Amino acid sequence: MRWVIGAVGVVMGLWGAVLVLPLVDVDLALWFVAGPVVHDVLLAPLFAGVGLLVARWVPPRWRAAVLVGGTFTGVLVLLAVPLLWRPFAGSRNPGLLDRDYPVGLLVAVGVVWAAVLVTTAVVRERPRADR
Amino acid sequence: MKRASSPHTATRIGLWSGVAFGLCFVTGLLSHLLQHPPGWFAWPTRPVGLYRVTQGVHVTAGVAAIPLLLAKLWTVHPKLFERPVVRSLPHALERGSIFVLLGASFFELVTGLFNAAQNYPWRFFFPPAHHAVAWIAVGSLLVHIAVKLPLMRTPAEQVRRGTLSRRGFLLTTGGAAAVAVLATAGGTVPWLRAVSVLGARSVELPVNRTAASARVSAVDDDWRLTVGARRFSRRELEALPQTTAELPIACVEGWSASARWTGVPVRDLLALAGVEPGDVRVESLERDGLYRASTLPAAHARDPSTLLALRVNGETLPLDHGYPCRLIAPSRPGVTQTKWVTRLEVVR
Repeated sequence: MRWVIGAVGVVMGLWGAVLVLPLVDVDLALWFVAGPVVHDVLLAPLFAGVGLLVARWVPPRWRAAVLVGGTFTGVLVLLAVPLLWRPFAGSRNPGLLDRDYPVGLLVAVGVVWAAVLVTTAVVRERPRADR
Repeated sequence: MKRASSPHTATRIGLWSGVAFGLCFVTGLLSHLLQHPPGWFAWPTRPVGLYRVTQGVHVTAGVAAIPLLLAKLWTVHPKLFERPVVRSLPHALERGSIFVLLGASFFELVTGLFNAAQNYPWRFFFPPAHHAVAWIAVGSLLVHIAVKLPLMRTPAEQVRRGTLSRRGFLLTTGGAAAVAVLATAGGTVPWLRAVSVLGARSVELPVNRTAASARVSAVDDDWRLTVGARRFSRRELEALPQTTAELPIACVEGWSASARWTGVPVRDLLALAGVEPGDVRVESLERDGLYRASTLPAAHARDPSTLLALRVNGETLPLDHGYPCRLIAPSRPGVTQTKWVTRLEVVR
């Protein structure tokens, strides 16, 4: 079974290589490599660093809330990048982006933090169910 | 404390990401085939919202996959620092395949997210690149699954001394995926419009390509629709029996909106012009652009609710929505719902 899955995967990947070969240029190659590199040198160390700071400076009761709020905030910020950073956008398209995205992002982040902090404050400290 | 990788958690989140990637791949392939149909491919005209659903799933699953992929990588992050870097040839191949998997996965998620915002910080043409790399992503994902399958049976880790428990980490990951979907899905799911603060196109019936950007100016009385040897003025079209249908416009970028369209069924026009039905080429007043013409498959051309619409939601079609008339067919990508139509021609 494993060998069948692996073989199907290899064939599909090779087909993708055949399709991508005529398109390859420096730009596309950079975009292919950029994801893992940016993740490993920027995103992961950032998350690990925040985790360490939280473990050192935040009182134990609030640690989980801060980590969860920080994670959700990070995801919202990542999703907002193509909406807010637009030097490479196509021609102006008033029908496409029809909201105030900076305000929307701030509101969403505010709601997330309010929710995690209120939940932590309200929920009584219970023995941790770790499994 | 040195963190170890956590195979049990990794395989759980791996399963979720695998489902998201699988949904993206299948729906993306369907969308590709719809726009470049090979001879064997047939796409149903019912339900009318089928493409709306498949493409909505495509974009929504892609958005959910972003936090899932990041969480998945976090569970295996310590493996990045494994020494020696390469132990053996199989080990080298495995690490290589994971690099390909991650390169292709990030490529798909990031280019897809930017494309949905019509933002292009690259020079390559998005559709063929996104399609080709999808095969690489799913191919290398299957190889990865084949290698790691035995780990599915790993028991849950012993309690970690981290801040979040194992369950807490899984819940946070699921929560992050839910937040990502809620923040963006409003373009596809109308009742989420109010909460999707990062969604595109929040209005009732959005316009992607305006008449100004298509360089179509106000249409005068000389305009005629050519069908075979027949020519119709807009007044003549209005005098023909009208059909009203509730049909969605569903864009490849994931947003969609439903409206009530009124006009003349394409099959009636073909019959009036005395042309044999078949695949129909639909041409627009647009002078250039990739989507100035489209080919309507025979099955859709025969469908009674495939219209040359003259009115939308009870009002005369606005210029930005394709005045004097536009094509609207059930279960088709938005870019093929040609606006400012001037000619219908049966091609085969």
